[in-house]
Amino acid sequence: MAFNYDKYLRVNKMPTLWCWGCGDGVILKATIRAIEKMGWDMNEVCVVSGIGCSGRFSSYINCNTIHTTHGRTVAYATGVKLANPHVNVIVVAGDGDGLAIGGNHTIHGCRRNINLNFILINNFIYGLTNSQISPTTPQGMWCVSAQNGNIDPTFDACKLAIGAGASFVARETMLDPKKLEKILVKGFEHKGFSFFDIMSNCHINLGRKNKMASAMENLQWIDSITTPLKKWEALSEAEQLNVFPTGVLRQVEQDEYCDLYDQVIAAAQGKRGKITQDDFAKKI
Amino acid sequence: MGTFKTENPGNQPVWVNTNNCKACDICVSVCPSGVLGMKYEKTSTLGAMISIDHPEACIGCNECELTCPDFAIYVADKKDYKFAKLTDEAKARQAAIVANHYMSLEQGAK
Repeated sequence: MAFNYDKYLRVNKMPTLWCWGCGDGVILKATIRAIEKMGWDMNEVCVVSGIGCSGRFSSYINCNTIHTTHGRTVAYATGVKLANPHVNVIVVAGDGDGLAIGGNHTIHGCRRNINLNFILINNFIYGLTNSQISPTTPQGMWCVSAQNGNIDPTFDACKLAIGAGASFVARETMLDPKKLEKILVKGFEHKGFSFFDIMSNCHINLGRKNKMASAMENLQWIDSITTPLKKWEALSEAEQLNVFPTGVLRQVEQDEYCDLYDQVIAAAQGKRGKITQDDFAKKI
Repeated sequence: MGTFKTENPGNQPVWVNTNNCKACDICVSVCPSGVLGMKYEKTSTLGAMISIDHPEACIGCNECELTCPDFAIYVADKKDYKFAKLTDEAKARQAAIVANHYMSLEQGAK
């Protein structure tokens, strides 16, 4: 018997509404397999998603799910996590959801280092609304809202997360689901904000307008712009400009927000003294 | 409404759920041994449907199951089925299928 996906899916919602060959389905599958590997009880898992193609994620997975407003996924998830620290919260957002309208919430989630698993499905375009430029659309690509070519410089989501202070930052593509599953497990095990930048394809709204009209052509393009971290470090500076490193880019132990909040509760109940600067190693 | 078929229909190395398949070609492209191919199908949205042409050549690498975005294809467990070894003939067949636009070799070019 093959892997039993039925247990983790809302079977009556199948088949998915995503286009043929969409990477979102692969990421959903990898997430399910990672949850199985972690041995989490589905009653203790909460998936929060926003608006966009990635927002459908919470409709298909059979656990506690919240389909929230555009870009506010991390805000809702922070509330869920603080109220129920034992629940494993997975946040799913697209590149428009997590970096454009919700960029503010994303950086503050990273800064607080709250124990969330943030899966950013990066397909380089606003796919649901039919091809408008997103913060990650490469310069020079043709989109509906950039009829003469896109001039906006692109965003490196992982650098943003590292700069904002997330304690686990990883990038992976949906080309290699086995690697993706492994990296998801690593991030789920990590205590603190786990940020995954997962590159996915949108051959319908990005590819068709940029000479990669089939899923395979778009995947080959993603393959050409990514390389494992070790190989990336060996490249010259000029070559590094056009390739993204994949793998775990940062993993450090940092104070977790729920633990710190327990201290606030203890202080408010008089079980300990007030929190002062002496409680922290880093004072500024 | 799709239904699931994670149960093996009867000593098969690989089996599909045609209710979920959208004919995106991804599974055909990742197969190393030319097991899969696309066949013309009038009732499908993209005009094609997955077919298992050479189940005897399946090596059980699981790639098609993992890369399928629509939960449509399943591979048996290694302990339940004795899989074949990768042969040169299978590799050549896979190259021919890719050159044939992922269409099954048994029905000509696309």
